Amino acid sequence: MTSQIPAHAQERLKGLRSSAHSTGVFTSDFSVNEFLLVRKAGFEPIGLCVGTCVYHVGIQYGSWKKNEELQVLSKAMYHARELAMARMRAEAQAMNADGIVGVKLTIKRLEWDENLLEFIAIGTGVVHGDGHKGFRAHDGGPFTSDLSGQDFWSLLHAGYRPVEMVMGSCVYHVAHRGMFAALGTTGQNVELENFTSAMYEAREIAIERMQHEAAAAKAEGVVGVDIHEGSHGWQTHVIEFFAIGTAVLPLDQEIAPEKIADPIMVLSVND
Amino acid sequence: MGLFDWLKPGASDPAIQAAQAASAQRQQDIQQSLRSGRVPSDIAARLEGSRNGTQPWIATLTPAELLIARSHGFRPIAAISATCWLHYGWSWTEGHAQGWEAALRRLRAEARACGANAVVDVKMRSIALAVENSMDFTLIGTAVRVEGLPASEEPVIATVPALEFVKLLDADIVPTGIAIGAHYQWMTDWRDSARMTWMGNVESRPLSQLWESVRQRAHADLRQRAASQGNGVLAHVNFSQMFEREGDPKQYLGRHIVVATVVDVPGAQGTRGRWRGSDTQRSAPLAQEFKMVVDVHAGGTPLTGSSRHHQAYQTNDEDGAI
Repeated sequence: MTSQIPAHAQERLKGLRSSAHSTGVFTSDFSVNEFLLVRKAGFEPIGLCVGTCVYHVGIQYGSWKKNEELQVLSKAMYHARELAMARMRAEAQAMNADGIVGVKLTIKRLEWDENLLEFIAIGTGVVHGDGHKGFRAHDGGPFTSDLSGQDFWSLLHAGYRPVEMVMGSCVYHVAHRGMFAALGTTGQNVELENFTSAMYEAREIAIERMQHEAAAAKAEGVVGVDIHEGSHGWQTHVIEFFAIGTAVLPLDQEIAPEKIADPIMVLSVND
Repeated sequence: MGLFDWLKPGASDPAIQAAQAASAQRQQDIQQSLRSGRVPSDIAARLEGSRNGTQPWIATLTPAELLIARSHGFRPIAAISATCWLHYGWSWTEGHAQGWEAALRRLRAEARACGANAVVDVKMRSIALAVENSMDFTLIGTAVRVEGLPASEEPVIATVPALEFVKLLDADIVPTGIAIGAHYQWMTDWRDSARMTWMGNVESRPLSQLWESVRQRAHADLRQRAASQGNGVLAHVNFSQMFEREGDPKQYLGRHIVVATVVDVPGAQGTRGRWRGSDTQRSAPLAQEFKMVVDVHAGGTPLTGSSRHHQAYQTNDEDGAI
């Protein structure tokens, strides 16, 4: 049954083949499945693209009794992410990549200063194997996408291509309730309307900003959107709403829905 | 005679004395063998037994993995392992590269002693015992032989499970080894430019640049170490840290470690990043067919209570991935 192993691989397993390549090494942070599917989709990884930014966030306190966006914090989160993403993209451009897949964006607080945040964007730069340039973003630069290799393959097979990783962010201060308001509702189940509306407004701002970015990238839609809230060591009542996703466009040759293969149902025996 | 010898039962028992003497001898053999780059003799004897079939084979593979390994002509020989417990003297960061590489050399020696073609399912482990600035670097995997192939002088070390190993081989890609890239750098902040207590929103250029430079060197290191084994890497660890050291002037330490699985892709282009021209040849397309399946077993729905869909009852205010 060893015939199933291709010749090159067999040579290598015998330990006979020279392992030194003169051509250099590509780097990636793909898993095995991602690697196989990105290649199957017709792309080759060429190198890890990283963008970082250590950012000092200015101080801002929300007024105690007011629902409001904290402009300083919002802008900081936005600007720092933007810088990290732009640097990652510049790296991809320098290696002549057609796009970046599997972008991961992380934030870390530096331990010695609570106002210093470290933003890191990492993804794998890929090129189209046949040199097809039609996958680039609207500005001719590499596309960016936070989709995994598997999702990338699926997206292409669904008739779409990624254009740009888009995001929207809003840091929001939720008003504190006055003492009398709190006393007045003791022992009752009541909706805290100002809290509810704070959540609504903050989330809406984040989503709208993301949608605006997608429109600016001339995308048709945004796929794989994650909307969530978090706090990066700010005082209580301050939350960040964050929306992130991949803006997509139909492929040049659109696939008719009936041409898309139906998925097969399987029952996995692994767990 | 020690003062507390009466607490140790049977200290005068000849059988126990003999066992202690045997253990001491064994440890001496282990130390001497490792120093001279050989496989310790007891282990070598066990591996030899598994190799020639007089002893049972041992595999870390699951039954499903065994099935696919057998269907591709692989036979497990023995579970092999290697450890290097290293004390960080001059550099924590580069100690990591050093520790893993020593363990890799030892693992390869065991694989050779088994007559293996490859080691699959190699796991990188470390025990969480923080003993005096040191750490153990341990590798555990299963040595396998391909039926009909002669033993290899340079067995490949695959950090992927057997299923993925076979998947890669079917695509004519060989996971050949592990490469580590590690770099650290100190920055002395003479002008106190990293202190920004009273400033508003502004990027800390010196720290950004420190990170950037550390990262680039670590990746260059990774590429260099990978180049002797293959032409690409799938990185599984991207670890970075930054510290401040109090003083006048303040100092900042940035460190970065990348651990990656090296792959050998046939006919892959010279992907030397930015120097790559546009006239590169295309590597062989994958022959495998992929089909979209829906796994009716896997969870990921609100009904199974997976955290992605249900997080109302957990804290979600931690720093980390967005």
